[in-house]
Amino acid sequence: MSTTVIGGAPPKPRPPPTPISHLPTDSARLYTHIHPLLLLSLYTYQFPSIVADPVAGLAATLVPLAALQIAYVAVCLPPTGNGTGSGAGNGPASGGAGGEKRKIGEKKKANGSAGKSDGIGGRIIPAVLSVLLSLLVAAPLLTAALVLFGAPITTHHAHTLLCGAHIAFLAAIPLVYVHGVDGAAWRDAVALLLPVDEVYGGLLGAVCGAWLGAVPIPLDWDREWQKWPVTIVTGAYIGYVFGRLLGGTMLKGKKVMF
Amino acid sequence: MAARTLLLTLANLLIPVAILVFATGFFPYKPFMPGLAEYDNLGWEDGMGWSNKSVADAPFDRLVFMVVDALRSDFVYSEGSGMTFVQSLIREGYALPFTAHATSPTITMPRVKAITTGSIPSFLDVILNFAESDTTSTLATQDTWLAQLKAKENGKLVMYGDDTWLKLFPDFFERADGTSSFFVSDFTEVDNNVTRHVPDELLNNDWNAMIMHYLGLDHIGHKAGPKSPNMLPKQKEMDDIVRDIYSAIENEDHLQNTLFVLCGDHGMNEGGNHGGSAPGETSPALVFMSPKLTKVTHAMEKKSPVVPKAGTEFEYYRMVEQSDVAPTLAGLMGVPVPKNNLGVFIEEFLGFWDDGRDRIQLLLRNARQVKSIVEATYPSLDFGDVVTQDHKKECDSPSTGQQLACKWQGVVDVMSTRTKIEISSRVGQLYKFMKAAQETMSSTASNYDVPRLVLGASLAVISVFLTLFTLPAFTPMSPQGLFYTLILVLYSILMFASSYVEEEHNFWYWATSAWLFYLFISASRKEWTANFILHPAIMVLVLHRIIRRWNQTGQKFAGADDIVHSPLFHGSYSIVLWTMIGSAYVDVTNRLSRHVARSIAAFEGLSGVALGAPDDEFDPNRLMAFIAVLPLGVTAFLFKLAFTALDAPELTGGINQDLLNWVASLGLVGIARMVFGGIALSAFWISVAEWKRAQGRRKNVDGNGDLAVALFDLLTLFLLTQTKAQNIPLYLLFRLQFFFLSTLNLDPTSLTTTTLLLTQTSFFALGNSNAISSIDLSTSYNGISGYNVTLVGILLFASNWAGPLYFTAAGTLLLGSHGGANSTRRHIDTSELDDRDWVREERAHLERLARQENIVAERKKDSGRAWSDHVSLMTLWTGVSVASVMVACAVLRQHLFIWTVFSPKFLFAMAWGIGFHFVGTIALGGLLWKVGRW
Repeated sequence: MSTTVIGGAPPKPRPPPTPISHLPTDSARLYTHIHPLLLLSLYTYQFPSIVADPVAGLAATLVPLAALQIAYVAVCLPPTGNGTGSGAGNGPASGGAGGEKRKIGEKKKANGSAGKSDGIGGRIIPAVLSVLLSLLVAAPLLTAALVLFGAPITTHHAHTLLCGAHIAFLAAIPLVYVHGVDGAAWRDAVALLLPVDEVYGGLLGAVCGAWLGAVPIPLDWDREWQKWPVTIVTGAYIGYVFGRLLGGTMLKGKKVMF
Repeated sequence: MAARTLLLTLANLLIPVAILVFATGFFPYKPFMPGLAEYDNLGWEDGMGWSNKSVADAPFDRLVFMVVDALRSDFVYSEGSGMTFVQSLIREGYALPFTAHATSPTITMPRVKAITTGSIPSFLDVILNFAESDTTSTLATQDTWLAQLKAKENGKLVMYGDDTWLKLFPDFFERADGTSSFFVSDFTEVDNNVTRHVPDELLNNDWNAMIMHYLGLDHIGHKAGPKSPNMLPKQKEMDDIVRDIYSAIENEDHLQNTLFVLCGDHGMNEGGNHGGSAPGETSPALVFMSPKLTKVTHAMEKKSPVVPKAGTEFEYYRMVEQSDVAPTLAGLMGVPVPKNNLGVFIEEFLGFWDDGRDRIQLLLRNARQVKSIVEATYPSLDFGDVVTQDHKKECDSPSTGQQLACKWQGVVDVMSTRTKIEISSRVGQLYKFMKAAQETMSSTASNYDVPRLVLGASLAVISVFLTLFTLPAFTPMSPQGLFYTLILVLYSILMFASSYVEEEHNFWYWATSAWLFYLFISASRKEWTANFILHPAIMVLVLHRIIRRWNQTGQKFAGADDIVHSPLFHGSYSIVLWTMIGSAYVDVTNRLSRHVARSIAAFEGLSGVALGAPDDEFDPNRLMAFIAVLPLGVTAFLFKLAFTALDAPELTGGINQDLLNWVASLGLVGIARMVFGGIALSAFWISVAEWKRAQGRRKNVDGNGDLAVALFDLLTLFLLTQTKAQNIPLYLLFRLQFFFLSTLNLDPTSLTTTTLLLTQTSFFALGNSNAISSIDLSTSYNGISGYNVTLVGILLFASNWAGPLYFTAAGTLLLGSHGGANSTRRHIDTSELDDRDWVREERAHLERLARQENIVAERKKDSGRAWSDHVSLMTLWTGVSVASVMVACAVLRQHLFIWTVFSPKFLFAMAWGIGFHFVGTIALGGLLWKVGRW
C-alpha cells in the first residue's frame, strides 16, 4: 500500500491550531448557553415520536436540528477564515480545497472588513453551506462508520442514514463552519490533534456518546426505546451537550495526549 | 526479575486452584448413599395391622421404557401432533399422560440420571456429560430402578438406542445395541438401529425391562428446529412404534402385565436446542400405557388432543417432576424405591390398590426413603417415629429443615392415631411431607458451600493483586494501557448483568471496533495516510465487521440473519462456500510448502545462501516442497468434504454427486488420522531442519522465527480440520487481519490488547456463546473410533476454542515480529506515487522503513521483557475475568437465572481460565515464542 507522508515533512510550516472561542458579543455569550438546552428540549419533545417510528421521527427532527445549529453557528461562532479560526486560510493548499472554500473565506473577509453591523446576515450563508456539506459529506461518512461499528447493513438503511445525519448535524456543522474544508484541520480532527474547544469538544462528545449509546441495546429490558437507532442518537445528543460544555470550559485549549 | 517471575508463577498457579475450590463449593459433589435399597421396617404394625415386611402386590412385572430424545410435551399432546395413536389411547383410558418437569441442565445424561435414580443431578453432571466415561458419573454403583429390576429374580435388562445408557450402566444389559450421535444430520439410521431389534425382543420373554432411546427427533431439532418439515413424519414414525409395541402387549400372553412408558428426556426451544431452562426445554412428555390402566383412569376425564394450561406454553395435563418416575415405577413394578430418590409416587396410580392400607404402605416406604435423605441433610433435627409435643410451633419456623421436621411429625401423628381415621388424611399428610421435602431438597440454595465460594473468589482476587505487581510500569499511563484497564473494568461489571452474559459477544465486538479505530487514530497522529479508507487499521476493522456477522450468536437475537445461514452457502450456491474453503486450504498448503522448501535447503547444506531467495525467483526446492505438502493439503480438504457431506449435507448441494460418493467411500476415521499424522510429521521434519539451521548460525545472531511461523501454519491446518465447513472462510479473513495488523508495527501493550480482543471476538464469531447448547461436539471425534475421554476432550476444546487458539498464536508471532508483512515490505510499487513528490516521498518512505526496522530491532533487544509483559497482562485478564465471574455467581446465587445464565458462564470461565490460559496463552504461546528465537 502506498502511503504519503504529510505530517512528517510539510513544505510550509503551519501555525499550530488554536482553540476556537465564541464571538465576543453579548448575544453569542448568551446563546451559547441556551443552545444546548434548546437542543435537549427539542430532542426530549421529539423522543416519543422517534421511539414510535424512528424513520419518521428522526427525519422530522432533522429540520429543526439544522435550524438550531444554523442559529448557533451564526450567532456564536467565528466563521472559517476569520482571524480567530484555526487559520484555515494559511494552511497548506490541499488538493481537495476547491472553490467552495475560497468562496466562504472571501465572503467572510468581505463581511469581516465591513464591520460587525451586518454580522448575522452575512454569516447565515456559510452556516447553510456548512449544513449542506455536513449532509452531503459528513453524514455518509458517519453512516459508513456506523456500519463499520456494527450497524445493520442489510436492513434499517433509512434508520442508519438518519442516525448518521443526526450525528453529522450535531458534530460536523459547527466544525465545518469554523474550519471550512481545510484538509489539514480535518486530518487533525480525525487524529485528535486539534485543541479541545466548544466545537471540537462537541464532536468528540457526540461520537463517544453515540458509541456508548450502543450499550443498552442487548439488555433484556424489553423497552421500545432499545430499538435501533434510538439509543445511539440519544447518546450522541447527550454526549454532544456534555462535550460542548466541557470543551468550552474546563478542558478548553487542552490537547488529547497520547 | 526473579521476584517478578516468582510472583507471576504464583499468580498463575492460584488461578486453577481458585477455580477448583470455587467449583467444589458451587457444584457440590453430592454424596450418594451406596448399595441397593431393600424393603425396610414399616412401623406402626399394631395400628395398621400389617406385618413389617409386607409388600403391596405390584400390578406389573414387565417394563418397556421408550425414551424419545427431546420429545417435548406438545409433540404428543397438541392438536398438530403426529402421534395420533397415543392420543387415541389417552381418549380410551389406556394411557395416562403427564408433562414431566425436567430441571436444568436439560441435556441427556443428567436427565437419564434423574429418571433412573429419582435424584436431582447436580450441575457438575454437565461437565461429566462431556466426559462420559468418568467413573464418578456412572450409575453402576448407585441405586436405580434398573438395578432394582435387575436384582429381581430372573431380572434381565435389554437396551437399544443412545449409548449414554451403556456408559451410565456398564455391564447391566443382557443384550444391547448402542447408537452414538456422531452426525446430527442422521435422522433415520440412528432410529432404524433401534427399531430393527424391537420385533424380536417383543417375542423374547427372558427380559423384565426393555429400554429404548430414540435420537432422531432430537437430531431434527438440532438441525432445523421444532417446525422442521421432518418433525411430523418423525412423530408419526414414533407413533407407529408405539402402536406395534402396544398391540404386542395386548396380544402376547407373556406381555400382558407389561407397563409401557413413553417419555422425553428433555424438550427443545424454538431453535431446536436444549440445555437451559426455557419452558420448551423443561417440558417433555410422559405417558404411561397399558390395557390395565383403565382401572385407574375410568373415573378420570379423558381428552386428547388438548391445549396447554392457561398462561403456559407447554404444560399439558398435570405437571409432575421427572424424578417422580423412579418411585412410581418402583411402586408399579414392585421393587424398593431407589435410595437416593427425591421423587414422589404419582398419585393417580394409587387407584391400582383397593385396600387403603396398601396405598399407605406404598407411600410410607417412599416417605421413609425420602426422610432418610432429609435426615442426612439436617442431622441435628428430630425425625423420629415418636410424637413430640411442640411440633406444632416448629411449623411456623423460618428454617426449612424445621418445617420438614414438623411435617414429618404430622405424618407420625396421623400414623400413630389409634382411632379410625380416613385413609385420605393419612395419604394427604404423607404427600404433604414428601412434596415439601422434594421442593426443599431440590432447591439449589441449600447446596452451596458458601465458605468455599468465598475462599475460591478470594484466591482469584489474590491472584489479581499478585499479578498487579508484575505489570509493566503503570506511569505514565498510556492510552493502550488505559483501554486495557477499561476493558477489564467493564467486563467485571457486565458479568453481573444476566443479559450481558448471554450477549457477551456484543461487548467484545463493540470494544474491538473502538480499539481498531483507536489504532487508526493513533497511526494517523504519527503520519497521515492519503488514502485513509485503505489504512491497515481500517481494513482490520472492515474485516472485523464481516467476521462478526458470520455467525449470529447469543440469546436475544437468536436466529437473526447471518452470513452462514444466507442462501449464499446453501443448495447449489454451496460452490461459493467450497471455493472459499478451497482457497483457505490452498493458502495454508502454499505457506507450508515455503517452510518445507527451506527445510530441504537446510538439509542440502545451503543454509544462509538460498534462504534469502525472493519469492519471484524460480526455486526448485519450492516446487519439490509444494509437491511434498500437496498430499497433506488435499487429504485435509477431502476430509472436510467427506465430513461435511455426512454432517451437513445441505452445504454440499452444488458439489458433484459422484465425487461425494467417492469421498464417502473413504473411511472418515482413517482420513482424519492421515491428516493429523501428516501434520505431526511435518512439524517434526521442519523442526529438525530449523534446528539444524539454528545450529549452523553464529551464536550472537538471533533467529528469524521461521519455525514459529511454520508451526503457526501447521496449527492453522489442524484448526481447519477441527472447524465446521461453513466457518472455514473465516480463517481467510483472520489471516488478512493478521497481515494488516503486522503492517501496523504496534507496541507490545497494544499487541497484547489486540490479542485479547481478537481471541474473544473470534470465539464468538465462530458461533459460540455462553450457553451450554452452543458447544459443538460434531468435530470432537475426528480420527477416533472408540471413546477416549482425553482425546475427545482435546479435540472438543480445539474445535470450540479454535479462533482463540489461532489468535493467541498469531499474537505471539506479532509480538516477536514474525511472519507478517515486514519481510515483504521493501517491494513497493513506485509507479503509484505522484511524479512531482516522488523524491520526497521516497525519502520519507525510506526513513520510515528505517524507523520501523529500528523499532523491530529494539523490540528484539528487550524481547524477553516483551514476552513476560504479555504473559503478565494475559494473566491479569484471566484473573480478573475469573474473579468477576466467581463473585457474580456467589453474590447472585439466589438469582432466578443462576442455573441458566451464570452457572454456564462459570463453566465457560473455567475453560477459559484453565484450558485456554494455560494451553493457549502459556503453553502454545510460550512454545512459539521460544522457537521464534531459534
